Amino acid sequence: VLLARRSLVVAGLVVALLAGIGASLALGAIDIPLADVVDVMTGDGQEGPSKQIVLQLRLPRTVDAILVGAALGVAGAMLQGALANPLASPDVIGVTAGAGFGAVLILLAFPGSIALLPVGALVFGLLAATLVFMVAWIGPDGGGVGRLILAGIAIAALFAAGTTGLMTAYPDRVQSAVFFLAGGLVSDGWEEMRVIWPYFAVGFAIALCLIRPLDRLALGDDVAASLGTRPRVIRLTAGASAALLAAASAAIAGLLGFLGLVVPHVVRMAGGTASHGFVVPVSALGGAALLVAGDTLARTAKPPLELPVGPFMVVIGVPMFLWLLRKAV
Amino acid sequence: MSSAPGRTACVAAAVLLTALAALAGAASAAAPKRIVALTPFSANTLASIGVKPVAIGQSLGGRERLLPSLRRVRSLPLAHPNGPNMEQLASLRPGLVFSSPTWRKGARTMRSLDIRVVEADPEFGRDIYDSVEEIAGIVNRERAGRRLARRIQSKVSRVTANWKSRPRVMLVLGVGRTPYVFLPNSWGGDLLQRAGARLVTAGAESDSGFARISDEVIVAEDPDIIIGVPHANADDLDGIKRYMQSNETWKLTSAGQNNRIYVSGDDSLLQADIDIAETINSVRTRYLKNR
Repeated sequence: VLLARRSLVVAGLVVALLAGIGASLALGAIDIPLADVVDVMTGDGQEGPSKQIVLQLRLPRTVDAILVGAALGVAGAMLQGALANPLASPDVIGVTAGAGFGAVLILLAFPGSIALLPVGALVFGLLAATLVFMVAWIGPDGGGVGRLILAGIAIAALFAAGTTGLMTAYPDRVQSAVFFLAGGLVSDGWEEMRVIWPYFAVGFAIALCLIRPLDRLALGDDVAASLGTRPRVIRLTAGASAALLAAASAAIAGLLGFLGLVVPHVVRMAGGTASHGFVVPVSALGGAALLVAGDTLARTAKPPLELPVGPFMVVIGVPMFLWLLRKAV
Repeated sequence: MSSAPGRTACVAAAVLLTALAALAGAASAAAPKRIVALTPFSANTLASIGVKPVAIGQSLGGRERLLPSLRRVRSLPLAHPNGPNMEQLASLRPGLVFSSPTWRKGARTMRSLDIRVVEADPEFGRDIYDSVEEIAGIVNRERAGRRLARRIQSKVSRVTANWKSRPRVMLVLGVGRTPYVFLPNSWGGDLLQRAGARLVTAGAESDSGFARISDEVIVAEDPDIIIGVPHANADDLDGIKRYMQSNETWKLTSAGQNNRIYVSGDDSLLQADIDIAETINSVRTRYLKNR
């Protein structure tokens, strides 16, 4: 029964993701007949604006949404598993606040170097996570979950204060930062992904390797240690993987912390299991489906304006989450 | 085998033909037929030199400042971070977009769509003539551009002379309900000084051209005139205007005591445009009263 339930969840998410991808490629501010979209995607499309729009704007954006959604889902699953804390998400290890500071620094203080925006978000996101891990690990009793979470809150507050300071110093440019802080994808081709993809690749690879050790860690530190697993090393590695994935996501799509928090919970509740062999890959699938759907909605709700996707994901995700929560209770 | 003079002639002819081809190529590249102007400055400049863009950017400021010949031109709503919707822009098939630093993130995407992007808006009043000539040069209307620049220059010199007084003015940008003063390195601050105002900034400095200063400093600086410039969506403007006009702190200053708190109704002090002379004249007549 449990296997059938899990298969149903996976099948449902695959269908949702495929439908989302179809909608993301077919819908936008400009109406392009579905047949033309199919022609372009199969290589039969004629040169012109339709081909440009589908191949150079919608396709890279859809790929961005899939990768970012999957990365945030996996990051949340890794952190919740490694820290044995249901509230864990990329926000907890400071990545979100650090990436926000890095992006706002470029947007407000160095607007002439806008090309460095993803790099700024990535570098400061990873810097914040490194600081959190240093504070949590160095000294007596280092490596504990409580200490890590408190260090995360403190470092995140530090970077959030820096972001506020920048916004106060450059009031006339604040609007350019709002979209990033609210979380949103933009149609800007493949350029950013060309820089960021290695971080996604490394993050996903580490996550795959940690699936079994995380299952052992779920049995408790003592049992995990007796099975040959080193809990502190696993936590640190899982944190590093989550930091890479979350920082890379922030570099592409701004701050979308909600997704990393909620998706793994939904997957656990829907699948009826906390096994990381199920939760990690299916969180990737769920995160991708949710972000692709949210982004399509954000692009088409009030065309030609494009709204930040963060609030749309909340609108889609929260009712589903609350329904599952009620069922679980 | 050809003689040396013959070879020289051949080489010269080849060089000449290559140069002509290059010039022709450059000219055709510099004068695309489909142009989009994302700023009122570039749109009005183009219209004034006889070029009609296929679309004009539409941001917070509305369309009141556009020349009559542009009123029916299609608008492209602008929003952060990219500026125009890229799908909508691509569907217009523009060869050239006049943009501004505000939309620099979008410029990268436009270039990836094989659109030439030029940032030509002036930062200060003194740059306006060069910017006009730059735009005119790009669309092959150099003479018209020079005429327009001279016309603006002549109008500006007429309205920037003979100040009867030089009041101390605080120019305040209202972002929501948070006030920031314009500094001399902002469009509005520069323009106020050209109108004869002594800009009150309490010594604040910022690369952005704006600085948040405390209410205590506003009272201590005691400006003769306060001019508020709301920066908000059209729906929110009235609320911010009312807030500025009823600000209790401002009422403590000489400006408040003498009923010399004004609120600008458009974005002429925020955003560059070719009507700089008219704006300076309006500032002098309506606010500074120093004509």
